[in-house]
Amino acid sequence: MATAVTAPIEGKVLQVVKKPGETVEENDVIILLEAMKMEIPVVAPAAGTIKEVKVSPGDSVESEAILALIE
Amino acid sequence: MSKSEIPKKLAALEEQVRRGDENEIQKQHARGQLTARERIDAILDKGSFVEEFMLAVTRCTDFGLGEKRKPTDGVVTGYGTIEGRLVYLFAQDRTVMAGSVGSVHAEKISYVIDTARKIGVPVIGLHDSVGGRIQEGLDVTGSIGKIFFSNTAASGVVPQISGILGTCTGVSTYSPALTDFIFMVEGTSQMFITGPTVVKEVLGEEVSGEQLGGAKVHARTSGVADLVAKDDRQCLEQIGKLLSFLPSNCNQMPPRIPAGDDPERLLEGVEGIVPDDMRKAYDITRLIAEIVDNRDFFQLKPDFAKNIVIGFGRLDGYTTGFVASQPLFLAGSLDIDASDKASRFIRFCDAFNIPVITLVDVPGFYPGVKQEHRGIIRHGAKMLYAYGEATVPKITVYIRKGYGGAKQALCTREMGADQLFVWPGVELAMMGAEGAVSVLYRQEMKTAEDAGAFRQQKIDEYSEKFSGPFAAVSKQFAHAALQPAETRMRLIKALRMLLNKSEERPRRKHGLMPT
Repeated sequence: MATAVTAPIEGKVLQVVKKPGETVEENDVIILLEAMKMEIPVVAPAAGTIKEVKVSPGDSVESEAILALIE
Repeated sequence: MSKSEIPKKLAALEEQVRRGDENEIQKQHARGQLTARERIDAILDKGSFVEEFMLAVTRCTDFGLGEKRKPTDGVVTGYGTIEGRLVYLFAQDRTVMAGSVGSVHAEKISYVIDTARKIGVPVIGLHDSVGGRIQEGLDVTGSIGKIFFSNTAASGVVPQISGILGTCTGVSTYSPALTDFIFMVEGTSQMFITGPTVVKEVLGEEVSGEQLGGAKVHARTSGVADLVAKDDRQCLEQIGKLLSFLPSNCNQMPPRIPAGDDPERLLEGVEGIVPDDMRKAYDITRLIAEIVDNRDFFQLKPDFAKNIVIGFGRLDGYTTGFVASQPLFLAGSLDIDASDKASRFIRFCDAFNIPVITLVDVPGFYPGVKQEHRGIIRHGAKMLYAYGEATVPKITVYIRKGYGGAKQALCTREMGADQLFVWPGVELAMMGAEGAVSVLYRQEMKTAEDAGAFRQQKIDEYSEKFSGPFAAVSKQFAHAALQPAETRMRLIKALRMLLNKSEERPRRKHGLMPT
């Protein structure tokens, strides 16, 4: 089952750090958001392989929006 | 029975109770758990346990209880020492009547809490029970009510610590909730008011006990648990470790435990931990680890409201409570959960004479409809109240930024900080310099030849005049600006200076903390 990586905060996508197909450890930074004038690292909730990244730099995202899927 | 046989008979009876039911003990071990007696042996100094009311049995004989009742009534109680310091404790015994809470069982627990309060020693409660004993009906709920009363009376008098080492359901969950700290075990401990069966009956929702109130849920989502261990033994070790930081009661100072870490020690490499760029996040716990004695920081609620960090450490052997913004999560902003987490911790520290050190790097209160509608106003107010109310030594260090009202919520001098320091890169303002310049020079920027350079010049001017370290020290916002490497040394000097601080507040029954 895929694990969803969700936005911890409402903000703008600054950078997609991990691409689909890359393997990640728990707590690896997957995406950088910008919110409250700061870079907010979004980390992997579990180890696995990035299945899909649903956002691109510049996108605005709501809090708890699904940003990527890990398998 | 002749008189001479009585002592022998009593001894045999006690021995039988101590030995327990082999069958039940095996079942407990098969679940990967220790028995109540093994837990007590694990947490107390060897041979120090003195058991009380071992041979007490329930008065109830209905529904066949007359034959089924057993000595202890399912809870082992008494006193002993941890690192030589006296504690009172109770441990519910799953191997005796499934640890069910009968009225005598509940009375024994109340007795432990009341006695601990009177003699001024911490209470440890180890919970592992199937729940209230239905056969005893109203007597049980009444006796449990007495436990709540005892917990409340002891609150702030002696530290109360709960270990949830099995299930803890229904009304029994409120006794731990009235204590100061709750420790749980991954996989085996659960807490809920209404269990999965009732949830299904009433709401038709299918949910497992683990999903409803497992350790992970309480550590991450509800914030009920302070710490989660991997097994019983680790949980008991954690409780012992917590106690090492605390005084036995509210009239004592915490024990000083010098660790041989030089109080003059300068911090190495802190610049590598805290980036100059205000936009970059970092892990504040790395800085706290550098500051405290021997890098030994005992963090509580690490997985709940991660945007604020709380926990105990020592400075030159003195117990200190740390409250720190965590820029790694939600930019370190203050939201409802962070306010709840920190304000409760501050009040605990204040109740037990533990100085509070606050490390600030806060961009503001977390904005949004959700927070406003859930009541960030009344929840955030707890932070202000807790700091304002606390009379223990309060020391604040502004690491990087302090914007808006959140700055006051993290203990400025006006809010009662006894000592306040800023790092050289600090920015303090109603809003950040960039935002302020955008508002103040909107018109000028439109007509400026080189808008970028003009903006930067104005940001620098604003920062120097209003928001940077020069403003902080010239306006007496801070006692002094610190070199980051001196942070530990200066905190220790300030802490020692404040050791005998005493501050009286107007007499009243009690204040009214926002909730």
